[in-house]
Amino acid sequence: MSDKLDKTPAGAPPEDTPPVAKDSAYAGPPEAIKAIPVRHWGRWVSGVVVVALLALLINAFANGDIQWSTVGDKVFDSTVVAGAGRTLLISILAMVLGVVLGILLAVMRLSKNPVTSTVAWLYIWFFRGTPVYVQLLMWFNLALIFPMLNLGPIYKDEMTDVMTPFMCALLGLGLNEAAYMAEICRAGLLAVDEGQTEAAHALGMSHGKTLRRIVIPQAMRVIVPPTGNEFINMLKTSSLVYVVTYNELLRSTSVIGSSSFAVMELLFVASIWYLVMTSIFSVFQYYLERYYARGSSRSLPPTVFQKIRANLFSLSSERGAK
Amino acid sequence: MTAMVKAEGVHKSFGAVEVLKGIDLQVNTGEVFCLIGPSGSGKSTFLRCINHLEKINAGRLYVDGNLVGYHQKGDKLYELKDSEVALQRRDIGMVFQRFNLFPHMTALDNVVEAPVQVKGVSKAQARERARELLDRVGLADKAGSYPSQLSGGQQQRVAIARALAMDPKLMLFDEPTSALDPELVGDVLDVMRDLAESGMTMVVVTHEMGFAREVGDSLVFMDGGVVVESGDPREVLTNPQHERTQAFLSKVL
Repeated sequence: MSDKLDKTPAGAPPEDTPPVAKDSAYAGPPEAIKAIPVRHWGRWVSGVVVVALLALLINAFANGDIQWSTVGDKVFDSTVVAGAGRTLLISILAMVLGVVLGILLAVMRLSKNPVTSTVAWLYIWFFRGTPVYVQLLMWFNLALIFPMLNLGPIYKDEMTDVMTPFMCALLGLGLNEAAYMAEICRAGLLAVDEGQTEAAHALGMSHGKTLRRIVIPQAMRVIVPPTGNEFINMLKTSSLVYVVTYNELLRSTSVIGSSSFAVMELLFVASIWYLVMTSIFSVFQYYLERYYARGSSRSLPPTVFQKIRANLFSLSSERGAK
Repeated sequence: MTAMVKAEGVHKSFGAVEVLKGIDLQVNTGEVFCLIGPSGSGKSTFLRCINHLEKINAGRLYVDGNLVGYHQKGDKLYELKDSEVALQRRDIGMVFQRFNLFPHMTALDNVVEAPVQVKGVSKAQARERARELLDRVGLADKAGSYPSQLSGGQQQRVAIARALAMDPKLMLFDEPTSALDPELVGDVLDVMRDLAESGMTMVVVTHEMGFAREVGDSLVFMDGGVVVESGDPREVLTNPQHERTQAFLSKVL
Protein backbone atom coordinates (compact mmCIF):
# COMPACT_ATOMS: atom_id res chain seq x y z
CA MET A 1 0.00 0.00 0.00
CA SER A 2 2.64 2.52 1.00
CA ASP A 3 4.57 1.81 -2.21
CA LYS A 4 1.55 2.72 -4.26
CA LEU A 5 1.18 6.01 -2.41
CA ASP A 6 4.76 7.02 -3.06
CA LYS A 7 4.39 6.48 -6.77
CA THR A 8 1.40 8.83 -7.04
CA PRO A 9 2.64 12.21 -8.28
CA ALA A 10 2.01 15.07 -5.84
CA GLY A 11 -1.11 17.13 -6.56
CA ALA A 12 -2.70 14.51 -8.81
CA PRO A 13 -5.10 12.39 -6.74
CA PRO A 14 -5.39 8.71 -7.66
CA GLU A 15 -8.14 8.01 -10.16
CA ASP A 16 -10.27 5.96 -7.83
CA THR A 17 -10.60 8.70 -5.20
CA PRO A 18 -14.20 9.88 -4.85
CA PRO A 19 -15.00 13.30 -6.35
CA VAL A 20 -15.47 14.92 -2.92
CA ALA A 21 -11.77 14.52 -2.37
CA LYS A 22 -11.02 17.46 -4.66
CA ASP A 23 -13.16 19.95 -2.75
CA SER A 24 -12.08 19.00 0.75
CA ALA A 25 -8.37 18.78 -0.10
CA TYR A 26 -8.47 15.09 0.83
CA ALA A 27 -4.96 13.73 0.27
CA GLY A 28 -5.84 10.06 0.00
CA PRO A 29 -5.58 7.47 2.74
CA PRO A 30 -2.86 8.27 5.30
CA GLU A 31 0.18 6.05 5.69
CA ALA A 32 -0.74 2.94 7.66
CA ILE A 33 0.75 2.64 11.18
CA LYS A 34 3.59 0.16 11.38
CA ALA A 35 3.87 -0.93 14.99
CA ILE A 36 5.19 -4.04 16.64
CA PRO A 37 2.10 -6.02 17.66
CA VAL A 38 1.53 -7.09 21.26
CA ARG A 39 2.90 -10.60 21.76
CA HIS A 40 0.29 -12.93 23.16
CA TRP A 41 2.54 -15.36 25.02
CA GLY A 42 -0.41 -16.76 26.95
CA ARG A 43 -2.04 -17.98 23.75
CA TRP A 44 1.08 -19.86 22.71
CA VAL A 45 1.55 -21.44 26.13
CA SER A 46 -2.09 -22.49 26.43
CA GLY A 47 -2.01 -23.85 22.87
CA VAL A 48 0.98 -26.05 23.66
CA VAL A 49 -0.64 -27.28 26.93
CA VAL A 50 -3.88 -28.17 25.15
CA VAL A 51 -2.08 -30.03 22.35
CA ALA A 52 -0.07 -31.98 24.93
CA LEU A 53 -3.18 -32.95 26.90
CA LEU A 54 -4.94 -33.97 23.71
CA ALA A 55 -2.00 -36.16 22.74
CA LEU A 56 -2.13 -37.86 26.16
CA LEU A 57 -5.85 -38.49 25.79
CA ILE A 58 -5.46 -39.97 22.29
CA ASN A 59 -2.60 -42.11 23.54
CA ALA A 60 -4.74 -43.43 26.41
CA PHE A 61 -7.58 -44.41 24.09
CA ALA A 62 -5.19 -45.91 21.52
CA ASN A 63 -3.60 -48.12 24.18
CA GLY A 64 -6.88 -48.95 25.95
CA ASP A 65 -8.49 -52.35 25.60
CA ILE A 66 -10.73 -51.21 22.77
CA GLN A 67 -11.39 -53.17 19.60
CA TRP A 68 -11.55 -50.29 17.15
CA SER A 69 -12.31 -52.69 14.35
CA THR A 70 -15.58 -53.62 16.07
CA VAL A 71 -16.55 -49.94 16.15
CA GLY A 72 -15.88 -49.68 12.42
CA ASP A 73 -17.75 -52.91 11.65
CA LYS A 74 -20.83 -52.09 13.66
CA VAL A 75 -21.34 -48.44 12.61
CA PHE A 76 -23.23 -49.52 9.52
CA ASP A 77 -24.67 -52.72 10.98
CA SER A 78 -28.26 -52.99 9.77
CA THR A 79 -29.65 -53.20 13.33
CA VAL A 80 -27.76 -50.09 14.34
CA VAL A 81 -28.81 -48.15 11.25
CA ALA A 82 -32.44 -49.18 11.83
CA GLY A 83 -32.09 -48.07 15.47
CA ALA A 84 -30.72 -44.69 14.38
CA GLY A 85 -33.63 -44.40 11.96
CA ARG A 86 -36.10 -45.05 14.76
CA THR A 87 -34.37 -42.50 17.00
CA LEU A 88 -34.71 -39.93 14.22
CA LEU A 89 -38.33 -40.92 13.56
CA ILE A 90 -39.46 -40.78 17.18
CA SER A 91 -37.57 -37.52 17.77
CA ILE A 92 -39.14 -35.83 14.76
CA LEU A 93 -42.66 -37.09 15.50
CA ALA A 94 -42.44 -36.21 19.19
CA MET A 95 -41.08 -32.78 18.27
CA VAL A 96 -43.89 -32.16 15.77
CA LEU A 97 -46.43 -33.16 18.42
CA GLY A 98 -44.63 -30.94 20.92
CA VAL A 99 -44.51 -27.88 18.63
CA VAL A 100 -48.14 -28.11 17.49
CA LEU A 101 -49.44 -28.71 21.00
CA GLY A 102 -46.99 -26.13 22.37
CA ILE A 103 -48.24 -23.34 20.09
CA LEU A 104 -51.81 -24.26 20.98
CA LEU A 105 -51.01 -24.22 24.71
CA ALA A 106 -49.17 -20.90 24.39
CA VAL A 107 -52.13 -19.29 22.64
CA MET A 108 -54.44 -20.83 25.26
CA ARG A 109 -52.34 -19.46 28.10
CA LEU A 110 -52.38 -15.97 26.60
CA SER A 111 -56.11 -16.17 25.92
CA LYS A 112 -58.50 -13.87 27.74
CA ASN A 113 -60.73 -16.86 28.45
CA PRO A 114 -59.93 -17.93 32.05
CA VAL A 115 -60.94 -21.56 31.39
CA THR A 116 -58.50 -22.14 28.55
CA SER A 117 -55.67 -20.28 30.24
CA THR A 118 -56.12 -22.30 33.43
CA VAL A 119 -56.22 -25.58 31.51
CA ALA A 120 -52.98 -24.65 29.74
CA TRP A 121 -51.40 -23.62 33.03
CA LEU A 122 -52.33 -26.94 34.66
CA TYR A 123 -50.97 -28.92 31.71
CA ILE A 124 -47.66 -27.12 31.79
CA TRP A 125 -47.51 -27.41 35.57
CA PHE A 126 -47.88 -31.21 35.48
CA PHE A 127 -45.81 -32.11 32.42
CA ARG A 128 -42.97 -29.75 33.25
CA GLY A 129 -43.06 -30.62 36.92
CA THR A 130 -42.49 -34.35 36.62
CA PRO A 131 -39.48 -36.11 35.06
CA VAL A 132 -39.94 -37.33 31.51
CA TYR A 133 -38.59 -40.70 32.63
CA VAL A 134 -41.46 -41.05 35.14
CA GLN A 135 -43.96 -39.99 32.47
CA LEU A 136 -42.63 -42.64 30.08
CA LEU A 137 -43.00 -45.31 32.76
CA MET A 138 -46.55 -44.13 33.46
CA TRP A 139 -47.57 -44.48 29.81
CA PHE A 140 -45.88 -47.86 29.70
CA ASN A 141 -47.76 -49.11 32.77
CA LEU A 142 -51.09 -47.46 32.01
CA ALA A 143 -52.66 -50.89 31.44
CA LEU A 144 -52.20 -51.66 35.14
CA ILE A 145 -54.91 -49.19 36.10
CA PHE A 146 -56.92 -49.03 32.85
CA PRO A 147 -56.90 -52.50 31.28
CA MET A 148 -59.34 -51.35 28.61
CA LEU A 149 -59.25 -48.13 26.60
CA ASN A 150 -62.91 -47.27 26.26
CA LEU A 151 -63.82 -44.09 24.38
CA GLY A 152 -67.51 -44.91 24.28
CA PRO A 153 -68.84 -45.62 20.81
CA ILE A 154 -65.74 -44.27 19.05
CA TYR A 155 -63.09 -46.71 20.14
CA LYS A 156 -62.60 -49.65 22.46
CA ASP A 157 -59.54 -51.87 22.77
CA GLU A 158 -57.15 -53.52 25.20
CA MET A 159 -54.79 -50.91 26.62
CA THR A 160 -51.76 -53.11 25.97
CA ASP A 161 -52.67 -53.17 22.27
CA VAL A 162 -52.92 -49.40 22.14
CA MET A 163 -49.86 -48.61 24.21
CA THR A 164 -47.26 -50.15 21.97
CA PRO A 165 -43.65 -49.16 22.72
CA PHE A 166 -43.92 -46.68 19.86
CA MET A 167 -47.05 -45.03 21.29
CA CYS A 168 -45.54 -44.87 24.78
CA ALA A 169 -42.44 -43.23 23.38
CA LEU A 170 -44.38 -40.78 21.21
CA LEU A 171 -46.80 -39.72 23.95
CA GLY A 172 -44.17 -39.66 26.67
CA LEU A 173 -41.72 -37.51 24.73
CA GLY A 174 -44.25 -35.46 22.76
CA LEU A 175 -46.54 -34.43 25.59
CA ASN A 176 -43.58 -33.55 27.80
CA GLU A 177 -42.02 -31.52 25.02
CA ALA A 178 -45.29 -29.64 24.47
CA ALA A 179 -45.04 -28.18 27.97
CA TYR A 180 -41.58 -26.77 27.26
CA MET A 181 -42.51 -25.62 23.76
CA ALA A 182 -45.54 -23.84 25.20
CA GLU A 183 -43.29 -21.67 27.34
CA ILE A 184 -40.91 -21.02 24.44
CA CYS A 185 -43.80 -20.07 22.15
CA ARG A 186 -45.38 -17.88 24.80
CA ALA A 187 -42.11 -15.97 25.18
CA GLY A 188 -41.99 -15.61 21.39
CA LEU A 189 -45.55 -14.32 21.14
CA LEU A 190 -44.97 -11.84 23.96
CA ALA A 191 -41.78 -10.59 22.29
CA VAL A 192 -43.75 -9.22 19.32
CA ASP A 193 -44.48 -5.52 19.75
CA GLU A 194 -48.07 -4.75 20.68
CA GLY A 195 -48.15 -2.10 17.96
CA GLN A 196 -48.14 -4.93 15.42
CA THR A 197 -51.40 -6.33 16.77
CA GLU A 198 -52.88 -2.85 16.92
CA ALA A 199 -51.88 -2.09 13.34
CA ALA A 200 -53.40 -5.36 12.13
CA HIS A 201 -56.60 -4.77 14.10
CA ALA A 202 -56.80 -1.21 12.80
CA LEU A 203 -56.75 -2.65 9.27
CA GLY A 204 -59.77 -4.77 10.17
CA MET A 205 -57.95 -8.09 10.55
CA SER A 206 -59.52 -10.64 12.90
CA HIS A 207 -57.73 -12.04 15.98
CA GLY A 208 -56.98 -15.32 14.21
CA LYS A 209 -55.61 -13.71 11.06
CA THR A 210 -53.55 -11.25 13.10
CA LEU A 211 -52.02 -14.14 15.00
CA ARG A 212 -51.38 -16.27 11.93
CA ARG A 213 -50.25 -13.64 9.46
CA ILE A 214 -48.59 -11.00 11.66
CA VAL A 215 -47.68 -12.19 15.15
CA ILE A 216 -46.57 -15.82 14.70
CA PRO A 217 -44.22 -15.15 11.74
CA GLN A 218 -42.45 -12.52 13.85
CA ALA A 219 -42.49 -14.68 16.97
CA MET A 220 -40.75 -17.44 14.99
CA ARG A 221 -37.50 -15.45 15.03
CA VAL A 222 -37.52 -15.76 18.81
CA ILE A 223 -38.97 -19.29 18.86
CA VAL A 224 -36.71 -21.03 16.32
CA PRO A 225 -33.31 -20.91 18.08
CA PRO A 226 -34.51 -22.45 21.38
CA THR A 227 -36.64 -24.93 19.41
CA GLY A 228 -33.53 -26.11 17.58
CA ASN A 229 -31.94 -26.54 20.96
CA GLU A 230 -34.98 -28.51 22.11
CA PHE A 231 -34.76 -30.76 19.07
CA ILE A 232 -31.10 -31.54 19.67
CA ASN A 233 -32.06 -32.28 23.26
CA MET A 234 -34.89 -34.48 22.02
CA LEU A 235 -32.53 -36.53 19.83
CA LYS A 236 -30.60 -37.40 22.97
CA THR A 237 -33.52 -37.61 25.43
CA SER A 238 -35.10 -40.13 23.07
CA SER A 239 -32.52 -42.61 24.42
CA LEU A 240 -34.71 -42.74 27.54
CA VAL A 241 -37.42 -44.59 25.64
CA TYR A 242 -35.09 -47.57 26.05
CA VAL A 243 -37.20 -48.12 29.17
CA VAL A 244 -40.46 -48.60 27.24
CA THR A 245 -38.70 -51.24 25.08
CA TYR A 246 -38.78 -49.12 21.93
CA ASN A 247 -35.87 -50.26 19.75
CA GLU A 248 -34.16 -46.95 19.15
CA LEU A 249 -30.44 -46.34 18.68
CA LEU A 250 -29.26 -46.90 22.26
CA ARG A 251 -31.35 -50.02 22.75
CA SER A 252 -30.26 -51.62 19.47
CA THR A 253 -26.58 -50.87 20.10
CA SER A 254 -26.61 -52.11 23.70
CA VAL A 255 -28.33 -55.35 22.68
CA ILE A 256 -25.43 -56.04 20.30
CA GLY A 257 -22.95 -54.74 22.87
CA SER A 258 -23.97 -57.08 25.66
CA SER A 259 -24.29 -60.13 23.40
CA SER A 260 -20.90 -59.59 21.76
CA PHE A 261 -19.08 -58.42 24.92
CA ALA A 262 -18.23 -55.11 23.27
CA VAL A 263 -20.15 -52.74 25.54
CA MET A 264 -17.90 -49.69 25.20
CA GLU A 265 -17.37 -50.20 21.47
CA LEU A 266 -21.11 -50.16 20.83
CA LEU A 267 -21.54 -47.10 23.05
CA PHE A 268 -18.98 -45.40 20.81
CA VAL A 269 -21.04 -46.46 17.80
CA ALA A 270 -24.15 -44.94 19.37
CA SER A 271 -22.25 -41.72 20.17
CA ILE A 272 -21.02 -41.44 16.59
CA TRP A 273 -24.59 -41.65 15.32
CA TYR A 274 -25.86 -39.14 17.86
CA LEU A 275 -23.07 -36.72 16.91
CA VAL A 276 -23.77 -37.13 13.20
CA MET A 277 -27.48 -36.47 13.66
CA THR A 278 -27.04 -33.43 15.91
CA SER A 279 -24.37 -31.98 13.58
CA ILE A 280 -26.53 -32.32 10.49
CA PHE A 281 -29.42 -30.72 12.30
CA SER A 282 -27.30 -27.79 13.47
CA VAL A 283 -26.61 -26.87 9.84
CA PHE A 284 -30.30 -27.15 9.01
CA GLN A 285 -31.16 -24.94 11.98
CA TYR A 286 -28.80 -22.23 10.74
CA TYR A 287 -30.73 -21.98 7.47
CA LEU A 288 -34.07 -22.00 9.28
CA GLU A 289 -32.96 -19.08 11.46
CA ARG A 290 -31.72 -17.27 8.39
CA TYR A 291 -35.14 -17.66 6.77
CA TYR A 292 -36.98 -16.14 9.74
CA ALA A 293 -34.40 -13.35 10.08
CA ARG A 294 -35.57 -11.77 6.82
CA GLY A 295 -36.79 -8.25 7.38
CA SER A 296 -35.38 -7.98 10.89
CA SER A 297 -31.89 -7.00 9.81
CA ARG A 298 -30.85 -4.97 6.81
CA SER A 299 -29.07 -7.84 5.11
CA LEU A 300 -29.37 -11.58 5.63
CA PRO A 301 -26.46 -13.36 7.32
CA PRO A 302 -24.36 -15.26 4.77
CA THR A 303 -25.00 -18.94 4.11
CA VAL A 304 -22.32 -21.42 5.14
CA PHE A 305 -21.02 -21.60 1.56
CA GLN A 306 -20.94 -17.83 1.22
CA LYS A 307 -18.97 -17.67 4.47
CA ILE A 308 -16.45 -20.25 3.29
CA ARG A 309 -16.07 -18.52 -0.05
CA ALA A 310 -15.59 -15.14 1.64
CA ASN A 311 -12.95 -16.62 3.93
CA LEU A 312 -11.12 -18.21 1.03
CA PHE A 313 -11.12 -14.96 -0.92
CA SER A 314 -9.92 -12.92 2.02
CA LEU A 315 -7.09 -15.40 2.57
CA SER A 316 -6.01 -15.35 -1.05
CA SER A 317 -6.21 -11.56 -1.32
CA GLU A 318 -4.08 -11.21 1.79
CA ARG A 319 -1.55 -13.55 0.30
CA GLY A 320 -1.69 -11.56 -2.92
CA ALA A 321 -0.91 -8.35 -1.04
CA LYS A 322 2.23 -9.85 0.37
CA MET B 1 -72.80 19.17 6.57
CA THR B 2 -72.76 15.55 7.61
CA ALA B 3 -70.82 14.35 10.62
CA MET B 4 -68.19 11.66 10.00
CA VAL B 5 -67.27 11.46 13.67
CA LYS B 6 -69.53 12.56 16.47
CA ALA B 7 -68.54 12.38 20.15
CA GLU B 8 -71.05 12.95 22.94
CA GLY B 9 -69.69 13.10 26.47
CA VAL B 10 -66.95 10.54 25.84
CA HIS B 11 -65.23 9.35 29.02
CA LYS B 12 -62.26 7.01 29.27
CA SER B 13 -60.41 5.82 32.39
CA PHE B 14 -57.38 3.62 32.77
CA GLY B 15 -57.94 2.17 36.22
CA ALA B 16 -58.38 5.11 38.56
CA VAL B 17 -56.95 7.63 36.10
CA GLU B 18 -59.59 9.45 34.14
CA VAL B 19 -58.00 10.35 30.81
CA LEU B 20 -61.02 11.68 28.93
CA LYS B 21 -63.52 13.67 30.97
CA GLY B 22 -66.41 14.15 28.62
CA ILE B 23 -65.45 15.02 25.05
CA ASP B 24 -68.05 16.53 22.75
CA LEU B 25 -67.02 17.26 19.21
CA GLN B 26 -67.95 16.74 15.60
CA VAL B 27 -65.77 16.03 12.58
CA ASN B 28 -67.48 16.84 9.30
CA THR B 29 -67.12 14.74 6.18
CA GLY B 30 -64.23 15.89 4.02
CA GLU B 31 -62.57 18.07 6.60
CA VAL B 32 -59.12 17.95 8.15
CA PHE B 33 -59.59 17.99 11.88
CA CYS B 34 -56.52 18.70 14.00
CA LEU B 35 -56.17 17.77 17.65
CA ILE B 36 -53.44 19.56 19.58
CA GLY B 37 -52.48 19.72 23.21
CA PRO B 38 -49.76 18.86 25.70
CA SER B 39 -48.76 15.22 26.16
CA GLY B 40 -51.10 13.42 28.53
CA SER B 41 -54.01 15.60 27.49
CA GLY B 42 -55.87 12.57 26.11
CA LYS B 43 -55.76 13.45 22.42
CA SER B 44 -54.13 10.16 21.33
CA THR B 45 -56.47 8.19 23.58
CA PHE B 46 -59.46 9.90 22.00
CA LEU B 47 -58.13 9.05 18.54
CA ARG B 48 -57.74 5.40 19.53
CA CYS B 49 -61.31 5.36 20.83
CA ILE B 50 -62.57 6.32 17.37
CA ASN B 51 -61.59 2.91 15.96
CA HIS B 52 -62.24 1.10 19.22
CA LEU B 53 -58.62 0.30 20.04
CA GLU B 54 -59.70 1.69 23.41
CA LYS B 55 -63.13 1.06 24.90
CA ILE B 56 -64.92 4.13 26.16
CA ASN B 57 -66.45 4.08 29.65
CA ALA B 58 -69.27 6.54 29.12
CA GLY B 59 -70.83 8.65 26.43
CA ARG B 60 -71.45 7.87 22.78
CA LEU B 61 -69.12 7.84 19.81
CA TYR B 62 -70.43 7.63 16.26
CA VAL B 63 -68.53 7.13 13.01
CA ASP B 64 -70.56 7.79 9.88
CA GLY B 65 -73.73 7.50 11.92
CA ASN B 66 -72.86 4.12 13.47
CA LEU B 67 -72.16 3.65 17.16
CA VAL B 68 -68.53 2.56 17.64
CA GLY B 69 -68.12 -0.82 19.36
CA TYR B 70 -71.77 -1.17 20.36
CA HIS B 71 -75.13 -1.73 18.90
CA GLN B 72 -78.21 -0.05 20.31
CA LYS B 73 -81.61 -1.68 20.49
CA GLY B 74 -84.21 0.37 22.28
CA ASP B 75 -82.37 1.87 25.22
CA LYS B 76 -80.09 -1.16 25.68
CA LEU B 77 -76.52 -1.32 24.45
CA TYR B 78 -75.04 -4.56 23.17
CA GLU B 79 -71.29 -5.04 22.86
CA LEU B 80 -70.25 -5.89 19.32
CA LYS B 81 -68.54 -9.20 18.59
CA ASP B 82 -64.86 -9.05 17.62
CA SER B 83 -65.75 -9.78 14.00
CA GLU B 84 -68.24 -6.90 13.95
CA VAL B 85 -65.67 -4.52 15.44
CA ALA B 86 -63.23 -5.64 12.73
CA LEU B 87 -65.89 -4.87 10.13
CA GLN B 88 -66.22 -1.31 11.50
CA ARG B 89 -62.46 -0.81 11.47
CA ARG B 90 -62.16 -1.68 7.78
CA ASP B 91 -63.45 1.77 6.87
CA ILE B 92 -61.15 3.63 9.26
CA GLY B 93 -57.48 3.93 8.34
CA MET B 94 -54.96 4.56 11.07
CA VAL B 95 -51.40 5.83 10.95
CA PHE B 96 -49.30 5.36 14.07
CA GLN B 97 -46.55 7.45 15.60
CA ARG B 98 -44.17 4.46 15.45
CA PHE B 99 -45.30 3.38 11.94
CA ASN B 100 -45.96 -0.25 13.03
CA LEU B 101 -45.18 -1.63 9.59
CA PHE B 102 -45.01 -5.42 9.45
CA PRO B 103 -41.23 -5.97 9.51
CA HIS B 104 -41.33 -9.44 7.95
CA MET B 105 -42.97 -8.19 4.78
CA THR B 106 -41.74 -5.96 1.98
CA ALA B 107 -43.27 -2.51 1.53
CA LEU B 108 -45.48 -3.89 -1.24
CA ASP B 109 -46.64 -6.86 0.84
CA ASN B 110 -47.44 -4.53 3.74
CA VAL B 111 -49.85 -2.66 1.47
CA VAL B 112 -51.22 -5.83 -0.14
CA GLU B 113 -51.84 -7.72 3.12
CA ALA B 114 -55.11 -6.25 4.39
CA PRO B 115 -57.06 -6.03 1.10
CA VAL B 116 -56.23 -9.68 0.36
CA GLN B 117 -56.73 -11.03 3.87
CA VAL B 118 -59.66 -8.90 4.97
CA LYS B 119 -61.55 -7.96 1.81
CA GLY B 120 -60.67 -11.02 -0.25
CA VAL B 121 -59.34 -8.95 -3.15
CA SER B 122 -57.31 -11.03 -5.61
CA LYS B 123 -53.54 -10.87 -5.16
CA ALA B 124 -52.87 -9.52 -8.64
CA GLN B 125 -55.43 -6.77 -8.23
CA ALA B 126 -54.18 -5.85 -4.77
CA ARG B 127 -50.58 -5.68 -6.05
CA GLU B 128 -51.53 -3.39 -8.87
CA ARG B 129 -53.38 -1.08 -6.49
CA ALA B 130 -50.50 -1.24 -3.99
CA ARG B 131 -48.06 -0.12 -6.67
CA GLU B 132 -50.33 2.80 -7.50
CA LEU B 133 -50.50 3.77 -3.83
CA LEU B 134 -46.75 3.47 -3.32
CA ASP B 135 -46.31 5.63 -6.38
CA ARG B 136 -48.74 8.15 -4.91
CA VAL B 137 -46.64 8.44 -1.73
CA GLY B 138 -43.49 8.68 -3.84
CA LEU B 139 -42.06 5.25 -3.08
CA ALA B 140 -42.66 3.31 -6.28
CA ASP B 141 -39.01 2.24 -6.34
CA LYS B 142 -39.09 0.91 -2.75
CA ALA B 143 -41.77 -1.73 -3.28
CA GLY B 144 -39.36 -4.60 -2.69
CA SER B 145 -37.64 -3.13 0.38
CA TYR B 146 -38.21 -4.36 3.89
CA PRO B 147 -39.18 -1.72 6.50
CA SER B 148 -35.75 -2.01 8.17
CA GLN B 149 -34.18 -0.86 4.90
CA LEU B 150 -36.30 2.31 4.76
CA SER B 151 -35.88 5.63 6.56
CA GLY B 152 -38.48 6.70 9.11
CA GLY B 153 -40.14 9.07 6.66
CA GLN B 154 -40.32 6.36 4.00
CA GLN B 155 -41.75 3.89 6.51
CA GLN B 156 -44.45 6.35 7.52
CA ARG B 157 -45.38 6.94 3.90
CA VAL B 158 -45.67 3.17 3.35
CA ALA B 159 -47.88 3.07 6.46
CA ILE B 160 -50.13 5.73 4.90
CA ALA B 161 -50.30 3.73 1.67
CA ARG B 162 -51.13 0.61 3.70
CA ALA B 163 -54.05 2.37 5.38
CA LEU B 164 -55.28 3.80 2.08
CA ALA B 165 -55.31 0.35 0.48
CA MET B 166 -58.48 -0.44 2.44
CA ASP B 167 -60.24 2.56 0.82
CA PRO B 168 -61.17 4.08 4.17
CA LYS B 169 -63.71 6.85 4.51
CA LEU B 170 -61.85 8.25 7.50
CA MET B 171 -58.13 8.46 8.26
CA LEU B 172 -56.74 8.79 11.77
CA PHE B 173 -53.20 10.10 12.25
CA ASP B 174 -51.60 9.62 15.66
CA GLU B 175 -48.68 12.06 15.77
CA PRO B 176 -47.46 10.79 12.39
CA THR B 177 -44.33 12.93 12.33
CA SER B 178 -43.26 12.88 15.99
CA ALA B 179 -40.82 9.98 15.58
CA LEU B 180 -39.15 11.43 12.49
CA ASP B 181 -35.94 13.36 11.94
CA PRO B 182 -36.84 17.00 11.23
CA GLU B 183 -35.68 16.83 7.62
CA LEU B 184 -38.00 13.86 6.92
CA VAL B 185 -41.14 15.47 8.35
CA GLY B 186 -41.80 17.47 5.18
CA ASP B 187 -42.18 14.41 2.94
CA VAL B 188 -44.83 12.89 5.18
CA LEU B 189 -46.70 16.18 5.54
CA ASP B 190 -46.69 16.58 1.75
CA VAL B 191 -48.39 13.22 1.37
CA MET B 192 -50.95 14.19 4.01
CA ARG B 193 -51.56 17.52 2.28
CA ASP B 194 -52.23 15.68 -1.00
CA LEU B 195 -54.61 13.38 0.79
CA ALA B 196 -56.47 16.34 2.31
CA GLU B 197 -56.81 17.94 -1.13
CA SER B 198 -58.32 14.74 -2.48
CA GLY B 199 -61.19 15.25 0.00
CA MET B 200 -60.32 12.60 2.59
CA THR B 201 -61.77 13.09 6.05
CA MET B 202 -58.80 13.21 8.40
CA VAL B 203 -58.40 13.44 12.17
CA VAL B 204 -54.82 14.41 12.92
CA VAL B 205 -53.18 14.47 16.33
CA THR B 206 -50.15 16.62 15.74
CA HIS B 207 -47.54 18.99 17.05
CA GLU B 208 -47.02 20.48 13.59
CA MET B 209 -48.74 23.84 14.06
CA GLY B 210 -47.72 24.89 10.54
CA PHE B 211 -49.58 21.94 9.07
CA ALA B 212 -52.63 22.59 11.23
CA ARG B 213 -52.75 26.23 10.17
CA GLU B 214 -52.21 25.54 6.49
CA VAL B 215 -54.23 22.37 5.90
CA GLY B 216 -56.59 22.10 8.86
CA ASP B 217 -60.27 22.98 8.59
CA SER B 218 -60.98 22.72 12.31
CA LEU B 219 -58.78 22.58 15.35
CA VAL B 220 -59.33 21.45 18.88
CA PHE B 221 -57.04 22.19 21.80
CA MET B 222 -57.29 19.57 24.52
CA ASP B 223 -55.84 19.64 28.01
CA GLY B 224 -56.47 17.44 31.02
CA GLY B 225 -58.99 15.28 29.20
CA VAL B 226 -61.32 18.08 28.11
CA VAL B 227 -61.71 20.23 25.03
CA VAL B 228 -60.45 23.66 26.07
CA GLU B 229 -60.88 25.56 22.84
CA SER B 230 -61.97 24.82 19.30
CA GLY B 231 -62.55 26.59 16.06
CA ASP B 232 -60.83 27.63 12.85
CA PRO B 233 -57.13 26.72 13.12
CA ARG B 234 -55.87 30.08 11.88
CA GLU B 235 -58.00 31.89 14.41
CA VAL B 236 -57.23 29.65 17.38
CA LEU B 237 -53.51 29.59 16.66
CA THR B 238 -53.11 33.32 16.12
CA ASN B 239 -55.65 34.57 18.62
CA PRO B 240 -56.24 32.00 21.36
CA GLN B 241 -58.99 32.97 23.78
CA HIS B 242 -58.28 30.65 26.64
CA GLU B 243 -55.40 31.18 28.99
CA ARG B 244 -54.25 27.52 28.84
CA THR B 245 -54.23 27.62 25.05
CA GLN B 246 -52.17 30.80 25.17
CA ALA B 247 -49.69 29.20 27.55
CA PHE B 248 -49.34 26.07 25.41
CA LEU B 249 -48.97 27.95 22.15
CA SER B 250 -46.42 30.34 23.60
CA LYS B 251 -44.23 27.31 24.32
CA VAL B 252 -44.57 25.48 21.00
CA LEU B 253 -44.79 28.28 18.45
